[in-house]
Amino acid sequence: MKINKSLKLAVNIIVHSKLRTWLTIIGIVIGIAAVVAIVSIGEGMQQNVESRLGGLGADIITISPGGGRASVGFRGGHGGGMPGSTATSATAENLTKKDVLVLQSVEGVEYIQGIVSGRGEMYYLGEKATVSVEGVDPLVWKEMTTSELESGRFLGPSDYNVVIVGGRIAKDTFKQPLTVNRIITIEEKAFKVVGILKESGGFGGDDNKIIMPIKAARDTLEDVGSDEFDSITLKVANTDDVDPIMEEADKKLMISRHLTEKEKDFRISSSQSIQETMSDITQTMTLFLGAIAAVSLLVGAVGIANTMFTSVLEKTKEIGIMKSIGAKNSDIMMIFLLNSAIVGLVGGLLGICLGTGISSLLPFLGMRLMGMGRDGMTTVVTPMLLIYALLISIGIGMVAGVIPAYRASKLKPVDALRYE
Amino acid sequence: MVIQLENVWKIYQMGDIQVPALKGIDLEVKKGEFLAIAGASGSGKSTMMNVIGCLDLPSKGKIFLGGDDIAGFGESKLAQTRGQKIGFVFQQFNLIHTLTALENVMLPLEFQDVDTPTARKKALEILNLVGLGDRVHHLPSQLSGGEQQRVAISRALAVDPEIILADEPTGNLDSKTGEFIMDFLSEIHRNNSKTIIIVTHDFYLVKRAERVVYLKDGEIERIEHKPKEQGGEFA
Ligand SMILES: Nc1ncnc2c1ncn2[C@@H]1O[C@H](COP(=O)(O)OP(=O)(O)OP(=O)(O)O)[C@@H](O)[C@H]1O
Ligand SMILES: [Mg+2]
Repeated sequence: MKINKSLKLAVNIIVHSKLRTWLTIIGIVIGIAAVVAIVSIGEGMQQNVESRLGGLGADIITISPGGGRASVGFRGGHGGGMPGSTATSATAENLTKKDVLVLQSVEGVEYIQGIVSGRGEMYYLGEKATVSVEGVDPLVWKEMTTSELESGRFLGPSDYNVVIVGGRIAKDTFKQPLTVNRIITIEEKAFKVVGILKESGGFGGDDNKIIMPIKAARDTLEDVGSDEFDSITLKVANTDDVDPIMEEADKKLMISRHLTEKEKDFRISSSQSIQETMSDITQTMTLFLGAIAAVSLLVGAVGIANTMFTSVLEKTKEIGIMKSIGAKNSDIMMIFLLNSAIVGLVGGLLGICLGTGISSLLPFLGMRLMGMGRDGMTTVVTPMLLIYALLISIGIGMVAGVIPAYRASKLKPVDALRYE
Repeated sequence: MVIQLENVWKIYQMGDIQVPALKGIDLEVKKGEFLAIAGASGSGKSTMMNVIGCLDLPSKGKIFLGGDDIAGFGESKLAQTRGQKIGFVFQQFNLIHTLTALENVMLPLEFQDVDTPTARKKALEILNLVGLGDRVHHLPSQLSGGEQQRVAISRALAVDPEIILADEPTGNLDSKTGEFIMDFLSEIHRNNSKTIIIVTHDFYLVKRAERVVYLKDGEIERIEHKPKEQGGEFA
């Protein structure tokens, strides 16, 4: 029998047992919707991580004090601008001029700078705020940063008591927005604002930082030795070389600091490595949640199998009739397999619609899960996800239908005909 | 196509006991013959029809269809034989109740991969012939018993089989409708020279056949021959 005829008969069976079929389909719809929604959360997190880490620049390698590979994460990111990095540096052996010299000799490094960072009390028009301060090499920094100027200028070689202000601090921190040429006070020292940065929105960017010449930072921040750095950043000439250069830098530092693997007191990260770590985390989470959703798919599959068994039983007489007028076992098998595949397909289609709907509603539900920050949660439904979901649901339909369909096909014509 | 049964046994296993339904049947049915099988309830008539029609295989003995032993047929060859060589008519009509009259009649053609327009044309032709031209889109539940049996006969004729097997085709019909069905089967026999085997209790219907096989407890009790002319005349 031709496939389109088998399909017609399969549809005929479905059309004539609407209620049961719909109930079965609901099982699959829920399963597929759950998988789609959950995977879309995972994809959203992934994209979030990628876009936010974009602010770091793919060609930047950061070395910061502190031991252990376990701590490689975004906290160890750019220049220790995040709270917590300075705390670590207080206990660990700080990075020094010597380290900078050592790193300078690594091939493929285009720029290098040592950075000091910390937190300071900032006053502006009578308002007070605690801000992250970063002291940078005025000439090198502008070559290395991915931040762009909103207004004003970058730091110059002879600058001392001037600052560049991160976009968010300038806009949101004070009642009166900060603008170029304003005077602010940090740790009781006066600075002139010479530049305002554009907001990047990422983790690694300079949105929440005050950038000043390193000399000024050493004089302003507490606990900063005259020869020490809180982090060193490298810019590599070619993005492809990030990994080998990281290795090389690691090796050279270990030697010059006379360290064994166990005593390692610094960490090296790149935006790439951070991204990979983050991706690993989100992927593991998506996989875990997806597995939970898959359980509901399993339940749906059992539902299909159950319905198919009932359907085969109910159709026994008709199977006998069809065999008596020339249906082969393979014809019967095909009809019932298609029947359950259609159940899977319809369930899958409705499931991806429902799943996409849920996934687009999730961010509005105010679920600020996993600390995805002030933007809440993003969900992303990719076409691939939908295609996979559909294939999986059809597959589940067919797998669940195999045994009932096989049973139906193996019925002996006389026995089937006798069935009432 | 000649049908030959050689020492055919059918034994049903009912738990520990064996129930023989056919006990060594020897019979030859010639091409174009109109044969009736009669006998008391439980004598093995349906069992015999089923093994002749390839719906079941005998426990012992051989059945030859056109010279081929069906024991050597695989599942798909048996299905093909049922689909191409044999047309069944049942007491309970056995229509697919979710398909219309037309779709029911087209179904055996579709199992033989006949394309839809041809199948449709053929089915409509036969349905017109049995006087159901204005009922083709009715579901079985919207047809009377006699009409349903006519659809069933149309379905049996659709693939133009050489053998028609009818197991009590009039059993569920009143005598007048039954008469009509039998007239129709006789007509097919006369005009198309098909081999027809019917099972019946009805004494009057038995008389239409050219030969009557009387079964008793799974054995042939006697065979009654009738001159060919009389076969139709007695109607
Ligand atoms: N599937 C089966 N399992 C066990 N015994 C069976 C089976 N089918 C038939 N029989 C037995 O075989 C014998 C013959 O049955 P069969 O149906 O051929 O009789 P029949 O002549 O067609 O009777 P009726 O006129 O009532 O239709 C009966 O004794 C019946 O009980
Ligand atoms: Mg019977």
